[in-house]
Amino acid sequence: MAHSLDTIGTFDNLRLELRRGCLVLAVLAELRSERYGYTLRKALEERGMAIDEGTLYPLLRRLESQGLLVSEWREEDKRNKRFYRLSHDGKLILKKLLAEWQSINASLNGIL
Amino acid sequence: MELLDRYFQAVRFWLPKTQKQDIIAELSEDICSQIEEKETELGRKLKEGEVEAILKRLGRPVLVAGRYSPQQYLIGPLLFPIYRFVLRLVALFYLVPWVLVWIGFMTFDPAYRVRHSGGSLIGALAALWGPFWLTAFFAFGAVTIIFAVLERAQTKSRFMENWDPGKLPAVRDPNQISRASSIFELAAGTVFLVWWIGLRSPIVLGQSAVRITLAPVWQYFFWGYVSLALATIATSGANLFRPYWTRARASVRLATDVIGAALFCWLCKSAILAGISVATVAPAKTVEITDAINLWMSRGFPIAVVVGIVTAAFDVRRIVRAKTTDIRLARGVAEAGDLHQQ
Repeated sequence: MAHSLDTIGTFDNLRLELRRGCLVLAVLAELRSERYGYTLRKALEERGMAIDEGTLYPLLRRLESQGLLVSEWREEDKRNKRFYRLSHDGKLILKKLLAEWQSINASLNGIL
Repeated sequence: MELLDRYFQAVRFWLPKTQKQDIIAELSEDICSQIEEKETELGRKLKEGEVEAILKRLGRPVLVAGRYSPQQYLIGPLLFPIYRFVLRLVALFYLVPWVLVWIGFMTFDPAYRVRHSGGSLIGALAALWGPFWLTAFFAFGAVTIIFAVLERAQTKSRFMENWDPGKLPAVRDPNQISRASSIFELAAGTVFLVWWIGLRSPIVLGQSAVRITLAPVWQYFFWGYVSLALATIATSGANLFRPYWTRARASVRLATDVIGAALFCWLCKSAILAGISVATVAPAKTVEITDAINLWMSRGFPIAVVVGIVTAAFDVRRIVRAKTTDIRLARGVAEAGDLHQQ
């Protein structure tokens, strides 16, 4: 029993590690068109990449501080919302990351 | 809603000062959107328990705020293994001897025992507890502060990343005996033996100005240490030409160390100085000096016991290691034989 619990814990940790890099890619790709946090989360969830707010907002801030995103506060539906979109550098990085992702995917498919 | 305000207030407390307003505004917008969506779905206002469930899923305020801060370490993953190693060294070579010496004094020095514990076991443990934790706290605290400072320096200068693989130490064989240590033991043993035999002739040492008289029991120590010196010289000689610990030689080393330690412990307790005579000092004063030297030797007894036990423990470890190597070698030979037969 303890062994199977350990296995579940190990799987969860490895899954988190695996998803971490993919989430960055998914967020960048999704922000090719402008979105605010909540709609971005919904869009990712609908495409099978659910991400909780505690992970998404710090990630958005990190990507913005790295110059990959730009943001602005605007009023919509009588509420202030922060809208994010990919910056010029972000577009370049996304292109490179997608190429890298496809290369990894092809390699993995070859191995598997 | 009051519950939301309380939650945001708690998150705000842990956030970086310059970003508090911005982060809270964005987070509250998200939660309000979630609540609105849920209310539209249910066709009613959310109850307090349902809002609580949303906040619970979001996480404890300190954790939520922590995700916005850069990862910070007091001692980072690069230095942590070294930090842990140094803590172990401090525990092994400072705290453990500290406790052992203390136990030695408590066991073998009745005056010390009565003075520090009132003679009872509980009193003794109570007397140990306070000073021990204080000593451990300061020792570990000092190491932690040094490593925290090193971590800051490392982060700035990246000195841990500049290294030369060519300077890595050679592969160490724990059963290998260095020739330098064998030569040193051989030389030290010989010098000691020559000096020791020179002491033999009279029990009275020194010339007319200073005369030191030893107790008759000295004879036993004399011959005991002669035998030990000869055994040490023989073992060191063998080690010099066959520089590898075997069970037999490691056992001889254990025996000589144990006998040497036992002799020294006995020496501490035997009031070995019978008298000192100095031409320019009054006899009453020399008697006082003799008694003081014997007393201090007697007080050194617990330390001698501890040093003897620690030395013997290292020697036993050496025998076990040599035995394990012998078994591995025997298995290796057997497997090689099997392969050869196949």
